[in-house]
Amino acid sequence: MPQMGVSVAEGTLVEWKKQVGDWVEADEVICAISTDKIDTDVEAPATGRVAEIRVDVGETVEVGVVLATISTDAKPGEPHVSESSSREGTSEADVAMDAAGEAGELQGDTADDDATPASAQSEARPRSAGGRRYSPVVMRMAAEHDLDLSQIEGTGRGGRVRKQDVLAFLESGGAGAAPAEPPMHIESPYKPDAPAPPKKRAPRFAGTPEPVSGGTLSRMRQSIGRAMVESLQTAATCTTIVEADMTRVDAARKRLGVSFLPIVARAAIETLREHPALNATLDGEAYTRYDGVHLGIAVALDEGLIVPVIRDAQDLSVEGLAGRIKDVAQRARANRLDPDEVRGGTFTITNPGGAGSIMATPVINQPQVAILDTEAVVKRPVVVTDELGNDSIAIRQMTYLCMSWDHRALDGITAARFLRALADRLEAWPVG
Amino acid sequence: MPTLTYLQAISDAMRTEMRADERVFVMGEDVGVFGGAFKVTDGFTEEFGPERVMDTPLAESAIIGCAIGAATEGMRPIAEMQFSDFISCGFDQLVNVAGKMFYRQGLSVNITVRLPSGGGFSGGPFHSQNPEAWFMHAPGLKVVAPSTAEDAKGLLIKAVRDPNPVVFMEHKHLYRRVKGEVPEGTYETDFTARVAREGTDLVVIAYGAMVHTALEATAELDASVEVLDLRSLVPLDEEAILASVRKCSKVVIVDEANQMCAAGAQVAALIAERGWEDLDGPVVRVATPDVPIPFSPPLEQAVLPQVDDVREAVRELLDY
Repeated sequence: MPQMGVSVAEGTLVEWKKQVGDWVEADEVICAISTDKIDTDVEAPATGRVAEIRVDVGETVEVGVVLATISTDAKPGEPHVSESSSREGTSEADVAMDAAGEAGELQGDTADDDATPASAQSEARPRSAGGRRYSPVVMRMAAEHDLDLSQIEGTGRGGRVRKQDVLAFLESGGAGAAPAEPPMHIESPYKPDAPAPPKKRAPRFAGTPEPVSGGTLSRMRQSIGRAMVESLQTAATCTTIVEADMTRVDAARKRLGVSFLPIVARAAIETLREHPALNATLDGEAYTRYDGVHLGIAVALDEGLIVPVIRDAQDLSVEGLAGRIKDVAQRARANRLDPDEVRGGTFTITNPGGAGSIMATPVINQPQVAILDTEAVVKRPVVVTDELGNDSIAIRQMTYLCMSWDHRALDGITAARFLRALADRLEAWPVG
Repeated sequence: MPTLTYLQAISDAMRTEMRADERVFVMGEDVGVFGGAFKVTDGFTEEFGPERVMDTPLAESAIIGCAIGAATEGMRPIAEMQFSDFISCGFDQLVNVAGKMFYRQGLSVNITVRLPSGGGFSGGPFHSQNPEAWFMHAPGLKVVAPSTAEDAKGLLIKAVRDPNPVVFMEHKHLYRRVKGEVPEGTYETDFTARVAREGTDLVVIAYGAMVHTALEATAELDASVEVLDLRSLVPLDEEAILASVRKCSKVVIVDEANQMCAAGAQVAALIAERGWEDLDGPVVRVATPDVPIPFSPPLEQAVLPQVDDVREAVRELLDY
């Protein structure tokens, strides 16, 4: 009979909502009682099977009297205790809540450990085989020494195996104590590996997954594929990468209302004029440099990549380049490029960074000797040095300029010098 | 080596540092002419003059604020709170200004704030508290709590020299009850834990006055009980704690402070996280329940952890 209020001393049982043998969840209503102040439902303090009902309907009992007992070892669907006499370890929880008003506290009593705090008696508590529980240190020591803990007599509360018991067992050379190691070759630092557990044979792969569509590559993909394979088979392709601080370029592009690409293109054109070795074609052994820059701009279409060429790009300003890039990209997407517009380039820029990649090794657009790849501009902490030589860490907009080039036509130093000059130009780009 | 009380050792530490270093000075309520509420600074005005032994108004915020200002100018002030309970009036200066000054401005705040703390003498709710956990929770502050005369001197000298704000918890109950040999001259005690007594079966982790309670409680048990004196709460000597847990596998943690979020709670959390595989029983805490400290002597005894409470907890866990 739970305490229902400071002054309530007794209550009358009005109704049992559960009968002996019924399964009851903790906090589920088990019976109704009436006191001189209120009528109220009583909730079960534990989950289990109602084992015994001690107070009949209509009886009036004092606070603290046990109303019923619940078997907390029972499981749903199992036969009732009385039907299964062989069962051991039945535990009972008194439904009565004591007069102190600790509603829900469980007066637990289990066969395996009577010292465990009652509130810990839940099914979720990890148990080892045989119903004994072990502390972390005992489990660890057992694993280290390969012990069978059921062989060890516990001297702790309720027969619990304590660390001291394991130590004593080990000291006495207990039956399961570390097995002697087989003799080994004296000079060998190796121990034989434990035999591998028999591998479960994986089910044989039943074939390729069901295709969702089929057919041959589109004409455009076939054409791109041929060109790419031919390039890689022809050129001695190398890739050089230089890091560039794009913070000023970002400010400039925002002011102009353009993307990074036309500014990088303009800077690349200016730098190419100083490094003409890269503004060139190599056809067999015929190596040709050009004065003007016919700039290829890779445009990604749904079906594949196309590289329209902006002729005499050196004559265009940043805004001019931006307009032309937009124009060719739009016409490429609308399939309205002239065949001539995708030929005759002297240098190509590809621009996959918009998708978030930070590094790539592009394939040279033959017969050109270099292709510049611009990658995502990301904020990174970098060390910057002021005019007095003081270092500090700043958040800057950084990118990698990746360029693949043909080692037949030029050497790495040329590529690196070009990229460094390009990066320097970008880092000093006029904002205003 | 002279034998000093805990209180004399604290005086000795300040006197030694003030003689050696002109930057060190003390300030607080009645620390000057009167010599301090507990006579810790008795004779200081005569030796060092009123400029280095400054009587202040009853204004803890001003005391700590002045100390912070002096420290940023390169001084090494020692500020006394007459009772640790009163520091709540200086909380903002200590927690928000001193604790964060280095983080915000890169300025060192080399102050030491002495907090006479603890109960056991019927001082009631305003004169008996153990507020160390407030400051453990505030980034930027160090918190130390000696239990012996020797450590009181060494930790205080270390605190005065530490470039960070250090909260120095000195337990009033130990002032004249604890005596010990204290080295003459100057020495520093590191902010680390100390094994007060070696043992193998169980470790009692405590600090301040509770170290003595733990030693007494476990002196005559039929078991080998280790007592670990934390000495420093921030930084917390995690490795020493884990080493004791590894050796003993059973742990009782004693706080004189109110139980909720006390220093011992942090120790228990550490053991749960990093000492799990060494445990052979639940981590047990003995602490003051979450109530104000009563005036009434029997009630005060009932709430503060007593020797019998600790002994009972230790016996229970040993039997587990």
